[in-house]
Amino acid sequence: MEGMNNQILHIDLSTERMMVDEIESQTLLNYLGGRGLGVKLFTDLIPRGIDPLSKENLLIFSVGPVTSSTVPTSGRFSLVTKSPLTNTIFHSNSGGYWGPYFKKCGYDCLIISNKLQDEDRGYIVIDGNNKVEIKDALELWGLKTSNLVKKIKEIEGKNSQVLCIGPAGENLVKFSSIINQAHRAFGRGGVGAVMGSKNLKAIVVKNGNKKFPIKNKEYMRKLNVIALDKIRVVPITSQGLAMFGTAALVKVINLFGMFPVRNFQSAFTDTNLIDKVSGEKLREMYLENNEGCYNCIIKCGRMTNTGEMSGKGPEYESLWALGPLTGIFNLKEITHANYLCNEYGLDTISTGGTIACAMDLQKNNILNDPNLKFGKEEILCNIIEKIASRNGIGDELAEGSLRFSRSHDALDYAMQVKGMEIPAYDPRGAFGHALNYAVSSRGACHLTGFLAALEILGVPKLVNRFSVNGKSDLLFLKQNQSAVEDSLIVCKFVGYALGFEFQARFLSSILNREISITNLITIGERIYNLERLYNIREGFSKKDDTLPSRFLETPLMEGPSKGKVVPLKRLLQDYYSVRQWDENGNPTEELLERLSIKRLV
Amino acid sequence: MIDAETYKQFNITGKILTDHRYNTSHSGNISMRSGGKILIKRRGAMLGYLELEDIIETDLYKTDSGIMLSSTETDVHRQIYLNTDAMAVIHAHNPFCVILSLLEDAITCLDAEGIYRYRKIPVIEVENPAGPIDAAREVPKVLKNYPIVVVRAHGVFAKGNTLYDALQNVTGAEQSAMIRYYTMMTGKSLKRDYSKEKYFSEW
Repeated sequence: MEGMNNQILHIDLSTERMMVDEIESQTLLNYLGGRGLGVKLFTDLIPRGIDPLSKENLLIFSVGPVTSSTVPTSGRFSLVTKSPLTNTIFHSNSGGYWGPYFKKCGYDCLIISNKLQDEDRGYIVIDGNNKVEIKDALELWGLKTSNLVKKIKEIEGKNSQVLCIGPAGENLVKFSSIINQAHRAFGRGGVGAVMGSKNLKAIVVKNGNKKFPIKNKEYMRKLNVIALDKIRVVPITSQGLAMFGTAALVKVINLFGMFPVRNFQSAFTDTNLIDKVSGEKLREMYLENNEGCYNCIIKCGRMTNTGEMSGKGPEYESLWALGPLTGIFNLKEITHANYLCNEYGLDTISTGGTIACAMDLQKNNILNDPNLKFGKEEILCNIIEKIASRNGIGDELAEGSLRFSRSHDALDYAMQVKGMEIPAYDPRGAFGHALNYAVSSRGACHLTGFLAALEILGVPKLVNRFSVNGKSDLLFLKQNQSAVEDSLIVCKFVGYALGFEFQARFLSSILNREISITNLITIGERIYNLERLYNIREGFSKKDDTLPSRFLETPLMEGPSKGKVVPLKRLLQDYYSVRQWDENGNPTEELLERLSIKRLV
Repeated sequence: MIDAETYKQFNITGKILTDHRYNTSHSGNISMRSGGKILIKRRGAMLGYLELEDIIETDLYKTDSGIMLSSTETDVHRQIYLNTDAMAVIHAHNPFCVILSLLEDAITCLDAEGIYRYRKIPVIEVENPAGPIDAAREVPKVLKNYPIVVVRAHGVFAKGNTLYDALQNVTGAEQSAMIRYYTMMTGKSLKRDYSKEKYFSEW
């Protein structure tokens, strides 16, 4: 396919054998690249019922046809694996520069299978000069991410791009991340632990110089002019995200009574308190400069310095999870905790969510650990270190809120879906957004169908956040679009400025053939259903498409969403119908035939 | 917090602008100054059917995170407030004002009401007429001395002491533009052209 190398690099860690395979053109046309390609290859290759932390699990990194092109935000790349946190199929993506560098080395996809010998530790180097090596990492094992990246760059050259795990991944923390160039992440789902289980510390790419000529270069040039104009004009992309980063959402989400506090006990905070952790405050106090990914003009990244420490972030979700969710409103402590999560390689949402769950148990006298009190900011960094090293109570917390609360016979206190902690939007405040948490194939996720864009931000148009009619249909559309964006791959933030029609046109320009929006939506639908089929094979069913009882039975007591609970039953019924799934949530034969996919055996 | 009377003013103003077809279902935006803040229509909300949640508060003096929710033209509103005597601002896509902006550098009023209120409605041209960046720079310069201005090919920005005052400027200007347009369409010369007698072109 145009715009791609059509090459898979397969590395077997047990044998240290490397192999290059060609990707069939039809596979790329059906799944594009990125998440779609990863899901297709993963479901083709992985046997039923494997332990996510066993050598049978795969790590599949993929780029897409848009990656490294002139399309705005074309720096993203994707990972597909089985999650140790959720046991579902899991996709994650990250920005920065690693993806374009990898593609320029001549590959579209990297499949890592098996594991290094028990006594070995290694890192992979993919050199654009046709050289792939596994190098010894015994001396690098145990290093935190920023130090590790520094050391690897000393060895491999300053222009190398490094994906790595921190101590949390090594210690198989169920929500550890793979860290991208020390401060970006493949977050959620514990993908760092999968890498750690393979004794693999890092993956380095360097010296890629392959170019991808665009067939319809003039059309692409014109599209870019229009697209960049729009990104520069729309306030969310040109001002909101650029000035305040994603933390611009702190006050916005609170305004609608959806900003969860103290493990979702409340979702509205007094103005004086919320101002202490706002995007404005972060900018005023700690922002040094903005940082952007490959070919991005939005530059939502925050490089910050508290005077005591410096690093990246916190992003909205991190700031919330490590702060107000645990009852902490001290921005400096939150920022330090965020740096620490990056250093240890921990997912910030699940870290905060699991700590908040423990604090809730303590408050309700189910747990007896006086340190774990809501608002006790002085213990935050210490608890994070304990989780990363699986020390003391940190060992229990490292399993995530679902397993932790289950071990205390207090499942209702875990704010999770399918084992993954819920992000920073109380589902009681936006019913379409709530439905996405319940049905997302990777557990509670705000990114797989961000309906808050319509329900809160009014993009592309505002819909009533408490209505039920039409929400399932909108979610169906958004989830399919999202699967396509994750497969091309572009950043979701350009969606605030560019309609989905731009993605079809960009791809048409790259492939030099007409790709319609409808084509793309069908591809997204295919990807989404294949993920569903995998989860069904692994034992997931309708019973898992749900929310914690707190959101279904306990109304919010204050704020603009006061009195609301999620009418999930009705939403779910509509959703299955829109998706052409039967009443138990299984894709129908008719649907599978239309999408040309088969049930997994 | 938006009080009932303010909500009512937004609601009525938005409804009139939509009912008069000055905007599409979702275009246009209205705002007012309030206690060092701007109250402004929410992005994506329908001007003719505003809910209480559709009126957003954002800082008067600088961009804040309210920009994530407020109208695309928030910066134009802000610059008008910071550089003129406006207490309320309306942006609409008045069809007759837009048509004449494609043909003329100013809309000279021929009708008595327009002569009394506006004499001439200035038209400005910006590089990117659909975006707020150029308009935020150029529109306030004109509104220092005029109650309303037309951005060529785009629409009007009007100021007022209140939303209703700004609304009158929007509807009045459109009435004058319509009369001028139909008069021009006849191709006949005017029996009496007050605009020339009063030197409106120099206004």
